[in-house]
Amino acid sequence: MTVDKDVPSVVVSDLVKTFGDFTAVDHISIEAYPGEIFGFLGPNGAGKSTTIRILCGLLRPTSGLAAVAGLDVGRRPEAVRQKIGYMSQKFSLYNDLTVIENIRFFAGMYSVPDALMPERVDWVLDMAGLKGRGLALTGTLATGWKQRLALGCAVLHRPQILFLDEPTSGVDPISRRQFWELIHRMAADGVTVFVTTHYMDEAEYCQRLVLIYRGQIVASGSPSKLKRESMKGELLLVECGQLGQALEVLQAGPGVLDAAIFGSKIHVVVTNAAEAIPLVRKYLSEHAVTVSKIEPIGPTLEDVFVALTSRRDEPAGGEKGQ
Amino acid sequence: MTFHRWAAIAWKEVLQIVRDGRSVGIVVAMPIIMMLAFGYGISFDLKHLPVYVFDREGSQQSQDLLKHFQASEYFNVVRTVNDYSTIVRALDGGRCKLALVVPYDFSQRLNEGRPVSIQALIDATDGNSANLAIAYSEAVILSYSQQVRLDWTLRRGHIGIQAPVSVDARTWFNENLESAANIVPGVVVIVMAVVGTFLTALTVAREWERGTMEQLIATPVTALELMLGKLAPYFAIGVLDTCLCAVFGILWYGVPFRGGWSIFFASSTLFLIVVLSLGYFISVVAKSQLAASQASLLATFLPAFLLSGFLFPIDQMPVAVRVLTYIMPARYYMAIIRNVFLKGSAVALLRNELLALAFLSCLLVFIATRVFKKKLN
Amino acid sequence: MLGRLRHMLIKEFIQVFRDKRTRFLLFGPPIIQMLIFGYAATLEIKHMPTAVLDYDNTQVSRDLISRFAASQYFDVRLLQTDRRDIKLLIDRGDVTLALQINDGFTRDLAKGKTGHIQVIVDSSNSNTALIGLGYVNEVAANFSQEYQTAQMLRQSPMTAAGLPTIVLDRRPWYNTDVSDRWFFIPGVIGNIILVIVINLTAFAVVREREIGTLEQIMVTPIRRVEFILGKTVPFFLIGLFDALLVSAFGTLWFGVPLNGSIGVLVLGTVLFLLSMLGIGLFISTVSKTQQQAMMTSFFFIMPSIIFSGFGTPISSMPETLQWLAYLNPLTYFLDVLRSVYLKGVGLDLLWQDMAAMALLGIIMLAVSVFRFQKSLD
Repeated sequence: MTVDKDVPSVVVSDLVKTFGDFTAVDHISIEAYPGEIFGFLGPNGAGKSTTIRILCGLLRPTSGLAAVAGLDVGRRPEAVRQKIGYMSQKFSLYNDLTVIENIRFFAGMYSVPDALMPERVDWVLDMAGLKGRGLALTGTLATGWKQRLALGCAVLHRPQILFLDEPTSGVDPISRRQFWELIHRMAADGVTVFVTTHYMDEAEYCQRLVLIYRGQIVASGSPSKLKRESMKGELLLVECGQLGQALEVLQAGPGVLDAAIFGSKIHVVVTNAAEAIPLVRKYLSEHAVTVSKIEPIGPTLEDVFVALTSRRDEPAGGEKGQ
Repeated sequence: MTFHRWAAIAWKEVLQIVRDGRSVGIVVAMPIIMMLAFGYGISFDLKHLPVYVFDREGSQQSQDLLKHFQASEYFNVVRTVNDYSTIVRALDGGRCKLALVVPYDFSQRLNEGRPVSIQALIDATDGNSANLAIAYSEAVILSYSQQVRLDWTLRRGHIGIQAPVSVDARTWFNENLESAANIVPGVVVIVMAVVGTFLTALTVAREWERGTMEQLIATPVTALELMLGKLAPYFAIGVLDTCLCAVFGILWYGVPFRGGWSIFFASSTLFLIVVLSLGYFISVVAKSQLAASQASLLATFLPAFLLSGFLFPIDQMPVAVRVLTYIMPARYYMAIIRNVFLKGSAVALLRNELLALAFLSCLLVFIATRVFKKKLN
Repeated sequence: MLGRLRHMLIKEFIQVFRDKRTRFLLFGPPIIQMLIFGYAATLEIKHMPTAVLDYDNTQVSRDLISRFAASQYFDVRLLQTDRRDIKLLIDRGDVTLALQINDGFTRDLAKGKTGHIQVIVDSSNSNTALIGLGYVNEVAANFSQEYQTAQMLRQSPMTAAGLPTIVLDRRPWYNTDVSDRWFFIPGVIGNIILVIVINLTAFAVVREREIGTLEQIMVTPIRRVEFILGKTVPFFLIGLFDALLVSAFGTLWFGVPLNGSIGVLVLGTVLFLLSMLGIGLFISTVSKTQQQAMMTSFFFIMPSIIFSGFGTPISSMPETLQWLAYLNPLTYFLDVLRSVYLKGVGLDLLWQDMAAMALLGIIMLAVSVFRFQKSLD
């Protein structure tokens, strides 16, 4: 695919979408480039799915621009369909059709000529790892395989831009890893992959990210940039017993900006890590909490996200994202 | 079996029904619409049948005869024609349903005391209407014939022989011979069949399809509690609709209600149990909503409509079909309902039907729970 | 482009035929309805159970009774002597009619006065009652006529040789045996197509919307027209198939004659299918779930069947409601079906029905397609 890597394949400019009184998308602007894996991160209801559906031509924007492959999708949704692929959040292939029948159907929808059909079917089966299972009824597959099949059906017409809406929800970690390998391969081929997810660890795979919260962009940039710049303060990892009590107590601890439970441990945001460690240790033992480990760690995207969104929720007024 | 569990299920069902506006509409509007549609749409009364007349003689007497036809409210003499082919075209095209042909020597033959026949060409496509039309035509002809004979004998100086035999008819239960009185009580049965089975099968099948049924099964609820909980709201709806239909029939159509309300409610309850269990059974077996809905219509609406004695009298059906009707719950319910409205017989006379309904309801509850339990395992 | 349409058709057919329940739907209901209507549906009345009370007990009265017994319409079962038993018999439904010949009947006749007989008829089924009374009158009138002639013969043999008599020469056209079966079975074709096409079409779209595949299709380059065709053409073909199935069954199994041309029949079917597809599509635009689609379909289907002249003639409906029948495509299709099958008429007389169906079909399709397009935005 000869595509100019400097021209953005997806452009969103001041996009707004309202449903009655509810604003789902509140003045969002984005640019994504060919060969890029662009992540759209945020909790449920933040506006991710809505934005993607506008970009696919499934919804009309209330105002603003949504352009895909240089075409105004808001005004002429039919124009881009051959150039994009879409995988929705809910599994939307036909459970009562076999794997091959589903592939052939969607290949037909994208006007793959009859002569090329067998080759295309093979390609998708291969890509999805379903060789030899082509005659199985799609409904009998496990979720992981279904998602891969859905991905295959979304790209069998070699689109320039791929929109994936929470493609790995409900999928086991191994299948998720394999799925992302596929995505990486496609990006390497020059496809723009536009992904939404609420799995923070998956967000690390993206080259650039946008954090969405309540219809607005809270932060954007590469994962490392976000981790570097969005956290105010430094992060401590605390391993201890009596988690619930420890959390409560820590909120008022010395030099503590914020504390949250991550799995079986607590992440504590402090102004200065080196200074804080002995203080916190002493503080916790004073409150009858047994501490097994305190050490400084680098922030994950989840930390970034929690920090940014809790700031937004503060009554003193959140800051606008970078 | 705990009350709380099935009450919780029942309440959830109620909420779902109430929130789905269309369900509410169906529950309230459908019985009334069906009452109106059936009550007005189905009528066996023959009225204003379009008639063409070909009077080959055109005499005083033939005109006299034809006036008798015109006077009858059953017939509407639309046109007098002068040739046969117009009649053929009219019958073919459906512009008339009956054509009368008076022969050219009508009055001559009468004066000579010879028999004369009037041709009645009848469009027998609709057999029932044709039979009625023939019967009414016969009546007109016969009465005119009597009159002619009377005149004839008087003119020749004989003792006038009046119509020797006069039939004094008493119609019991439905004095005005109105179709509505016949049809409307029957609609109650059909509404019950639809509400009971159709709605139930559809809603439960939907839960199977959506997977929420499995959710429920994972809780400690027992099969019986689940079934009762799910069906309880529909039972209540069924009772409500039965009353609605009965009241509507009485107030709107003026159908009499001569029996006892206790028989009415007892039989309705039994019938509801039957149709609800059937609906449940179908939903378990059919699994998809489309299949469940079609199966329930096939299993209840069709039999209630065709095989219960609603429109087509059971004793006129061929033996094989008549035997089939013995396993149709609608047959018994129909008989009881008609009786309660029009006849008001004592309970003792309806004993057989009530027993049959009771038996069928137990049977169906048993089958439904068994099938459901099997499905769970 | 035909390519995409082809794929949509393939998918649609795979889905319909793979699910054994929808497979059953294509054959089961049609054949079951055919069988039931063919065998159970009869409005003809024969062998009505009759009780007779003869208080007169003379040769003449016994003669009269034997006329009734000899008629195929009456099944004279019981000769009673107590009037109270009659009430019980009718209440229980053991007899439909009770004839009472009073003491002194023959004496009155001999004196040249009118003899009275009483008939009590259970008119809870008004149709049966009407027809029954008609036959009673007929038997009585024929008896009267013969008695008169016999009396004349005794009084004045010369003149009695010629008594004027008017007789009805009845000629049933098209359906010479006046068989209800021949009337209903062509009608069943219309019913089947109505139910199957509307349900399947509505369901096909709503189901895709419900499970989410609609979105996936909309994202592909498929054009609206192609999608709509893809959702209607399969059911058009299925409708034609079922029409063929029922026609063949009706003619081969039941022997319903096909007197007209198959071409006209096909044309009528095609035009009828247009409106049915339109309605199915329309229902899919107003239903968000399959359940709603089902209920809405039922709401539409049921009155359509009633207000179509399917079982009882439109002319028997109240005049204010007859216009409903004229807005109903099924009314015209039934006329076409019956005319082609039983009357054997051609387009020259049926063109109005065809035009009406075409007009209704185009309007319904246009409205539905428009709504559908809007709903996709």
